[in-house]
Amino acid sequence: MIPTIILAVCVMLALAGVFAVLLGWANVRWHVHVPEQLQHLMDAMPGANCGGCGYIGCSEYAEAIFHEGAAPDKCSVGGAAVAERIAEIMGVEHVAGVPSRPVVLCGADFDERLKRPEYRGEPTCAAAVMVAGVQGCTFGCLGLGDCVEVCKFDAIHIINGLAVVDYEKCVGCGACVRACPRNIIQMVPFHADAMAVVACSNLDPGKVVRGVCTVGCIGCGICAKLDDIFTIADNNASIDYDRYQADTDLSAAIEKCPRKIIRMEGK
Amino acid sequence: MTVADTIKIPGKRSFARGIHPSDKKSLCAGSPVEILPTPKSVLIPLSQHIGAPCAAIVKPRTEIAIGDVVGDSEAFVSAPVHASVGGTTSAATVTTLPNGQHVGAIPITVAEEQPLASQGLWDDIYGGNWPTDSIESLDPKQITQAVRTGGIVGMGGATFPTHVKFARNPDKPIDTLIINGCECEPYLTSDHRLMLEAPEPIIAGALLSARAAGAERIIVAIEDNKPDAIEKMQSAATGTGIDIVGVHTLYPMGGEKQLIVAVMAREVPTGGLPLDVGVVVVNVATAAAVARAVLRNKPLTHRIISVTGEGVATPKNILAPVGTSYADIIEHCGGLTDSADRVISGGPMMGFALGDLDVPVTKGTSGIVVLTEAQTRKSAETACVRCGRCVSACPLGLVPTRIALAARNKDWEMAKRYYITACVECGCCAYVCPAEIPLVQLIRAGKAGLPRD
Ligand code: SF4
Ligand code: SF4
Ligand code: SF4
Ligand code: SF4
Repeated sequence: MIPTIILAVCVMLALAGVFAVLLGWANVRWHVHVPEQLQHLMDAMPGANCGGCGYIGCSEYAEAIFHEGAAPDKCSVGGAAVAERIAEIMGVEHVAGVPSRPVVLCGADFDERLKRPEYRGEPTCAAAVMVAGVQGCTFGCLGLGDCVEVCKFDAIHIINGLAVVDYEKCVGCGACVRACPRNIIQMVPFHADAMAVVACSNLDPGKVVRGVCTVGCIGCGICAKLDDIFTIADNNASIDYDRYQADTDLSAAIEKCPRKIIRMEGK
Repeated sequence: MTVADTIKIPGKRSFARGIHPSDKKSLCAGSPVEILPTPKSVLIPLSQHIGAPCAAIVKPRTEIAIGDVVGDSEAFVSAPVHASVGGTTSAATVTTLPNGQHVGAIPITVAEEQPLASQGLWDDIYGGNWPTDSIESLDPKQITQAVRTGGIVGMGGATFPTHVKFARNPDKPIDTLIINGCECEPYLTSDHRLMLEAPEPIIAGALLSARAAGAERIIVAIEDNKPDAIEKMQSAATGTGIDIVGVHTLYPMGGEKQLIVAVMAREVPTGGLPLDVGVVVVNVATAAAVARAVLRNKPLTHRIISVTGEGVATPKNILAPVGTSYADIIEHCGGLTDSADRVISGGPMMGFALGDLDVPVTKGTSGIVVLTEAQTRKSAETACVRCGRCVSACPLGLVPTRIALAARNKDWEMAKRYYITACVECGCCAYVCPAEIPLVQLIRAGKAGLPRD
C-alpha cells in the first residue's frame, strides 16, 4: 500500500505535467501577434495605470499611440523621459512641453479658516460639502482629504486642515482635481519649478471674506495694479497662466498683497 | 370613529413601512402663536426657493416698505422675494442658508415706526374674514399669477414655487388637490397651531388652489395625532365640499409620495411628480399664504416657526418676518440651555444642522429644533450587521444599506442599480440603523457625486 500522501503528490505532479503541456500548446495555438513596435511602447510605459493620460491604463494608451497616433507626451508619470522614448519608438519628433501640476486654490489652514464648528458626520469632503455650516468659507478646502485618498503617488497631504501638494512626488495625473468636491484644485502649466498662485477661491465681497478667513483674497486689486497678469473677477484675483513665462517675476505683488495670499508653489 | 375616519377615500390612510419616532410635540403644541417683536434688522435672501435665484431690484440706502419687491427673476421656476419689514436697505451681501444655498441677500435696517405690529400684524396675515363665495368666479390664470406675484413657495420646507404646481398641463389634468396638514416631523407644531388658530384662510386657500389647478376634489389630510386640528378644520370647512381626512400617524406621512399613496392609493413613479398621477399637494401654511396673496393682495413676508426641543429655554411658536436671524429668535425664546448641543433648521429628521446661528429665516423655515448632548451623542459606527431594519423602514422600498455603502465606495453602477435617485432622504433608515451607519448622509453625498451622463 502506498501511503496516501505519496499518492496525492504523484497525482498532483501528473496533473501539473498534463496542464503544462496543454498550456504550452494553447500558447502556440492561440498566439496573439503583438506588433513589435507596440510591444516596445508597452515596455516603455511606467506601468502605473493611473489614468492620468486619459486612457484606461498604460496598455490602452500604448495602443492609442500605435493605432490612432495619440500624442507621445500624455504620460504625466513618465514625464519628458517617457515622451522622448515614445517619440523615438514611433519615429516622430518630440518637442518638450511644459508639465502640468495641480495647485490648491485655498491657502488657509485650520487656524486661518474661521467659524468651524465641530463636524461629526461622514469624514469625507464629498459629505461635508453638503453641510451648510461646516465652515464659514463656502469655497475653501474642507481638509478631509478626498484628494489624498485618490492620489496614487502619495503626493498630496492634509497639513493642519489644508491640502498641500508635494511637488517632489507629484506626477500631474490630475486625479486630485477630479476628486475635489469644492473644485479648488486646478492644473497649471509649470513654466518654472515654482509658480505664483493666488491661493483663494472665495468669490464673496471682501467684507464677507474677512469674516470667514484671515488670509483669503479680498479683491482689493492691488496685485492687478502692479501687474496686468492679474485680473479681478467676482472679488477674486486670478493669474493668466497663458502669459506666465519661466522668468515671470511677481515678487512685487506677492510682497504687497495685504492678505499674503499670493504664494509660490512648487519645488 | 370620527367623521374624519368615515369619509370615503381611495387610499388606506397609511403607506407601507415608515417609522414611529417619539413625536415630542407636547413641548409646544399647546403654546399659542406669539408675534415676535419686530427685529432691529433683517437679511432678505434673494433665493428662498428651488429654481432660479432672484436679482436684486432695490438700490442700497433706499427706503422700503413692508411688502415691496426686493428681488425678482424672469425665470418660470422662481419666485420674487419681498421686504418683510419697513426700513432702509444696505449694500447687497451674501449668506449661506441652512440648506447649503450660498445666495445674495439684502440687509434691511428696520424703521422705528412699523405700520403693522403685534395683533394688527396677525389680523393682517391670518385674522378677519376670508370670503369664499366669489372664488368660483375668479379666472384660474389670475389666481396663478397672483400666487407668483405674492412669491408663494412650498412652506413645508421644500420651497418649490407654488405657481409652477398650478400651471395647467393639458396632457396631465389634475383631479385632486391634497392639502397637507400632516406635519409628520417630530417636534414641529407650526402647521398644527395654524390649523387651530387660523383655519379659515387655509380653507379659502384650498378652494383657490383647486380652482387654479383645476382639481375637482379637495382633501385635507391631517395625522390622527391632532384630533383638535381635525375638528377645527371640519367646522371651518362646513358647506365648502372640502373633505377633512385623518391619516395614520406614521413618519414620513407628510412626504408627497407617501401622502398620495395613503390618500389616493396612487404611486408617483420614480423621477415623476404628483401631477403625473393627477394630484397636487399643497401644505396648509402655503394654502393660507395663497389666500392672502389672492384675496388680500399681500405677498409672503412672515411665517410661523416652532422654536422647540429640549435645548431651548422656553419652546414657543413664533410668527416672525422672513429674514430674521435665528439668533434673535432663539434669544426671544429664552436662549439655549446649558445642555444644548445641536441647532437644527427644520425638523430633526430632515432638517439641517446649523454651524452658525446668524442665518436668516426663509419662507421654508418650519422650525428651529435644539437637541441636547444626550440626544445627539452617538456611539461609533460599526459594520452593517445585515439586520435589514433599514429595508423594513424605507417608505420607498429601497435597500438603503446597499445604496449607502455603494455610494461610500463610489460604486456608481451598484448605486444606480439600487435606485439611489429614488431616495427622498427622509432619514428613516439612519434612524433605525443599529450599526449607526450614516446611511442617509452617504446617500445624499452619493447623489451629488453621481457621474453625470
Ligand atoms: S477665503 Fe480663500 S483662502 Fe480663505 S478659506 Fe476661503 S478659499 Fe481658502
Ligand atoms: S497630487 Fe494630484 S496630480 Fe499630483 S500625483 Fe497626486 S493626484 Fe496626481
Ligand atoms: S482640496 Fe478639495 S478634496 Fe482636497 S481636502 Fe481640500 S476640499 Fe477636500
Ligand atoms: S492683492 Fe491679494 S487680496 Fe488683493 S486682490 Fe490681489 S490676491 Fe486678492
